[in-house]
Amino acid sequence: MLYVLSKITRKYGSRTVLDIHLMEIEQGKIYALLGPNGAGKTTLLNILGFLEAPATGDIFYHSTPVSFFESYLQNLRMEVVMIDQHPILFTGTVYKNVEFGLKIRGIPQKKREIIIEETLDLVGMSDFVQARAHRLSGGETQRVALARALAVSPEVLLCDEPTSNLDVENQAAIINTLKQINEQRKITIMFTTHYMYQVSLLAHHTFFLDHGKLVPEIHENIL
Amino acid sequence: MELLTDSFLSAILLIASLDPEVLSIVWVSLKVSGISTLFASLMGVPLGFLIAYGSFKGKRILIICLNTMLALPTVVIGLFVYSFISRRSILGSLDLLYTQKAIVIGQIILILPIVATLTIAAISRIDERYRKTAMTLGANRRQTACVIFREARFGIVAAVIAAFGRVIAEVGISMMLGGNAKGFTRTMTTAMALEYDKGEFILAVALGIILLVLSFGINLIFHFFQGRTRT
Repeated sequence: MLYVLSKITRKYGSRTVLDIHLMEIEQGKIYALLGPNGAGKTTLLNILGFLEAPATGDIFYHSTPVSFFESYLQNLRMEVVMIDQHPILFTGTVYKNVEFGLKIRGIPQKKREIIIEETLDLVGMSDFVQARAHRLSGGETQRVALARALAVSPEVLLCDEPTSNLDVENQAAIINTLKQINEQRKITIMFTTHYMYQVSLLAHHTFFLDHGKLVPEIHENIL
Repeated sequence: MELLTDSFLSAILLIASLDPEVLSIVWVSLKVSGISTLFASLMGVPLGFLIAYGSFKGKRILIICLNTMLALPTVVIGLFVYSFISRRSILGSLDLLYTQKAIVIGQIILILPIVATLTIAAISRIDERYRKTAMTLGANRRQTACVIFREARFGIVAAVIAAFGRVIAEVGISMMLGGNAKGFTRTMTTAMALEYDKGEFILAVALGIILLVLSFGINLIFHFFQGRTRT
């Protein structure tokens, strides 16, 4: 198993927003995470992305227990990348944005250039390589954010509503890219969504989350 | 009215003639204000950054203290520094009183809270998603801090410019700690005060015009950088 979450809880103040007894995630699969607003989907992704620590419980990543110490987590974050629901791009060009994670990993300049070109091509943004990131549309921003995440060759990609507020064309581009990278690079993907058709198009497995708990299924009209 | 127009015209002629006394006073003002802004920035920007970026006990109290220090009158700072550097006081042996160094010390105390609080404001305005994005892409604490700093850079530059605008126009500290010695510690504002006392308005008006032009330029740059933070 890639991830095993055991008796995980997360609290904001006195309110429990996440309470998961057991969750297992297999390597190389695509998982959809469904649930109404406020069900704890983003919190769960933050925990899986090692950006937030659970209040209680254990997480095993590659069968190794995760200790929530900053230096340890930073190494894990090299393998797990999360894309926000409304991703933000750094000031500067698209090139600089995609280069960020590669520079951090100490990848040499020549290799960086090749990876950036390939990744932008993969998301259909190669014409925008020198474009100012803040001048891009919502769909273009989402695609560059995806390229920035894929450039670092993550083992796990966590996408928080990757197609929210996008037009049909951009939605299709994102969905196709996710499918493609899962098939070709065997990247494990977990995405949250409110659209059942995306689940049927992409996901191998589906988790339903309601009031912070995993439930067998959720009626479609409350998503 | 005649006095004003006559003084104004004579002042313009004085500036146009590049009068050595005017140039010397402007140079001292720019030098002293520039040095104090530099030192205040070197201390205030990291301080503001650490306060805004870090989470520690007493953070709110520290911000309240810095905000309170924004209201410190220049004469209070002058008195405070004087009590440390006058001949019979603890640092009297350093002979700092009535030197440019004394003015710089007082001005640093004046603008350090300005630089720090405006830096805190600039950092606090930065979207939380920048931190999260840098972290998820594998950045460590230092690299994440660099990202935040880079995104806030225009706001930080605006803080430094605002501080320079404050010191170039202050009079209390320069007068009390500099002593208004001609050619050494006479700044634009202290010279204007002296000329007014003497009833000589031409030099005072000339320096006033230069100060206003400088302030206008500073404000122009300040608004440029503030505008950049909003785009």
